[in-house]
Amino acid sequence: MEIPVEKTDSVTIAVIPVDELDASNAGEFKRDIAPVLDSDTRVVMDFSHLRFIDSSGLGAVLSCLRQLSAKGGDLKLCGMSKQVRSTFELVRMHRVFDIFPTREEAVRAFSG
Amino acid sequence: MNAAPSSVSEMQEAICRHARYSLGKAWADLSSYERFAAVALAARDRMVDAMLATEERYGQADPKRLYYLSIEFLIGQSLGNNLRNLGLRESCRQALARLGADLEEIERSEPDAALGNGGLGRLAACFLDSLATLGMPGYGYGINYEYGLFKQEIDDGYQREKPDNWLAQSSPWEIARPDEACLVPVYGRIEHDVDRHGVYNPMWMDWKLLVGVPHDMLVPGYGGRAVHFLRLYSARSSLDFDMQIFNDGDYFKAVEQKIASETVSKVLYPSDAVIGGHELRLLQEYFLVACALRDIVRRFERNHSTFREFSAKTAIQLNDTHPALAVAELMRILVDEKELAWAEAWEITQATLAYTNHTLAPEALEKWPVPLLERTLPRHMEVIYEINRRFLQQVSVAFPGETSRLNRMSLVEESLPKQVRMVNLAIVGSHSVNGVSAIHTGLLETALVPDFHQLWPERFNNKTNGITQRRWLLEANPALGDLITSTIGDAWITDLDQLRGLDRCSGDAGFQSAFQKIKRANKEKLAGILWHSSRVKADPDSLFDIQAKRIHAYKRQLLNVLHVVDDYLALVEDGKPPAAPRTYVFAGKAAPGYRRAKQIIKLIHSVARVINGDPRAKDWIRVAFLADYRVSLAEAILPAADLSEQISTAGTEASGTSSMKLALNGAVTIGTLDGANVEILEQVGPENMFIFGLQAAELRAMRDAGSYQPRELYDQDAGVRRLVDSFASRRFCPDEPGLFTWACQTVLDSGDRHFHLADLPTYLEAHEKAAAAFNDRGRWTGMAIRNVARIGRFSSDRTVKDYAREIWDLKSV
Repeated sequence: MEIPVEKTDSVTIAVIPVDELDASNAGEFKRDIAPVLDSDTRVVMDFSHLRFIDSSGLGAVLSCLRQLSAKGGDLKLCGMSKQVRSTFELVRMHRVFDIFPTREEAVRAFSG
Repeated sequence: MNAAPSSVSEMQEAICRHARYSLGKAWADLSSYERFAAVALAARDRMVDAMLATEERYGQADPKRLYYLSIEFLIGQSLGNNLRNLGLRESCRQALARLGADLEEIERSEPDAALGNGGLGRLAACFLDSLATLGMPGYGYGINYEYGLFKQEIDDGYQREKPDNWLAQSSPWEIARPDEACLVPVYGRIEHDVDRHGVYNPMWMDWKLLVGVPHDMLVPGYGGRAVHFLRLYSARSSLDFDMQIFNDGDYFKAVEQKIASETVSKVLYPSDAVIGGHELRLLQEYFLVACALRDIVRRFERNHSTFREFSAKTAIQLNDTHPALAVAELMRILVDEKELAWAEAWEITQATLAYTNHTLAPEALEKWPVPLLERTLPRHMEVIYEINRRFLQQVSVAFPGETSRLNRMSLVEESLPKQVRMVNLAIVGSHSVNGVSAIHTGLLETALVPDFHQLWPERFNNKTNGITQRRWLLEANPALGDLITSTIGDAWITDLDQLRGLDRCSGDAGFQSAFQKIKRANKEKLAGILWHSSRVKADPDSLFDIQAKRIHAYKRQLLNVLHVVDDYLALVEDGKPPAAPRTYVFAGKAAPGYRRAKQIIKLIHSVARVINGDPRAKDWIRVAFLADYRVSLAEAILPAADLSEQISTAGTEASGTSSMKLALNGAVTIGTLDGANVEILEQVGPENMFIFGLQAAELRAMRDAGSYQPRELYDQDAGVRRLVDSFASRRFCPDEPGLFTWACQTVLDSGDRHFHLADLPTYLEAHEKAAAAFNDRGRWTGMAIRNVARIGRFSSDRTVKDYAREIWDLKSV
């Protein structure tokens, strides 16, 4: 999948380009986000296109956080729909991510 | 806006509109089912208006709401009941007459919604009717089984089960609400990690997803002022969300996964089946709980920002332990999702949940293996362990040093494998635990879970079951309903205690005559059914002796058969005819895996075949078994009963409600001091019932002492010997000798837990008295009328008001 990437100051913003992140495309997502994780440490993922996420999708996003954390970086999430947010809550994953309503707030949080 | 009765023209227009635009046909071209569907849809329009108005009214008042979680709702047919409650029946009848159709015939075309096994599910359906009639905001939550309880057919006297695909033609009553679907994760594993602040954070990973799609069945209260809903969930695969897997992935694997997910709401498990360990049943129970709580929390959050108010606005009743996972699920939601501290979440959970126990048999209590729970619901198992850890600390303080008590009270049984005791979970997580009759609650406290009663006596209470008179008299027996209304007015429809006004008529010749005519007409109708279904020719003037309920050892259909055969042997061997000609009617299903219950059905048929084929018995004894007992058949059987068999072994029946339905329809009870019989006796009086048998305490003492010796009874009494021996002989199984030897062995076994022979002499004696009373027509009719007059306490309106006042804190709006 082609993941649009945008850079502002020292933060990289990756926009999840699909409306569903699940078993069918989680592998592809991990492969295509890898260059971003290799080259950057402060990453925001914009979920505003995302309508549905399953455990494979959550697992893929969690592995992104762990990769960045391992090298002293961080991953922040933004633009979640109510449904996607509730899936994070359902499995307590909202507690391991910094989640913001908007992209601007997520970027700002890196400088805070 | 209330659901005001529509005019005949409006009703006719609505029916024709639905025929044309919902079903796509002209009225004249509709099948009988489609005609029913068109009428149902016309009625549903009115119900939707009233439901929206009700929700608006409730929304403004922001009242406390009650959610009744039940794995079963035994609804039966709805059209007749809904039309009556809405006040649309007469306009509908006339509208259909204009269209050349008959309302009763159309009503008969409706398939029963058999989403239940028996008492527990029917109780839930009666409660919904009462809640709506009382204007108390209460809603049912259940599963939209594609296949209800199996259809029973009889082949050479043996029960055969056929699937009941009641949704094959889709129900016109159901309103699908896919926009309110909820996601239910299952399976997976827990990843033990920390959150952003370094605090322990168990995450639920690698789960599979079920989707619960709600379907609402509207429930109109009598008068149509309030219309509620019963929300039934269908399981759908998450692949419906994700068509990409179909497009890109392994198509067949995807289809298999989809089918596997959807089996969760495919079929209702029959009761009495050994279901412990059945993974699908566990998934069903969790699916119900997860969907219901997701919906309840969502509704609460629409108007409230803090969960501190949750229990003030929400009551959840667990109908038996099937929804007991609600304890763990509500804790998981509050702690994991809403981030409340454990103690606060626990306080809210306990204050919200209440539990109704329905069973006294220790072996029938639900337990789930820990390894299965760990695999299917890993996070819930953790929550249960934590609840247990804290609970056992509390027990240790209350009962220091009592290790065996700790073992008994633990939520986890230390067996191989370990098992979670759902009763213990339900009790620990609820602020109220109730039994369903006075004797049952007493036994619950003293015999079933005495440790819990000693710890929390204030938590235990009794709520004697009830039935709705709208279904079981107004709808099932309209002629008797009309007679009552013309005598004391119609207030009884919403206040069953008003029936007391009939007491003064019990000796009145004119009233007795009218009452007798109605009973005879009901018996003629049942005689017609017996002839058509079983080719048994019943005399409507004979005593109709009826036992209609699930077939189960503790309900003692076998004791009834002993009496039938005793009557028969006395007639053919002693030349002594029964005091009154009798028609014995049996009806009921046996769980497919319950061998003994199925043997009883075969025995009844074999005995019936011999007796009905013996010309000597022709004028005296007829025996019939009506197949496929269900709500709609009950509505035909019960109004025709003279004698109501409520003969369970004392201490085994939680309540029983067929006793109430039969008495309400003017049947006199022959029964043991068990379940609700005890309280019916208090109301109706010993002079209007035939009570027999040993009491629960006496039987328990015999059981504990091992002093029951049925063989002595057999040796000492030639009559008993002849009776028991007849089952070992070829008399009832000429082609298959030995087929019923099990019956002899059962009743002669000192381990017979149902004490058939111990109660036999007093049972036979009670029947003698009943027959003598029946022969005195005036006396019998007086007794029957007094049964009707004094049964008012057993309205589900009273039961629901008791729950509302003492458990739910629920008010009429």
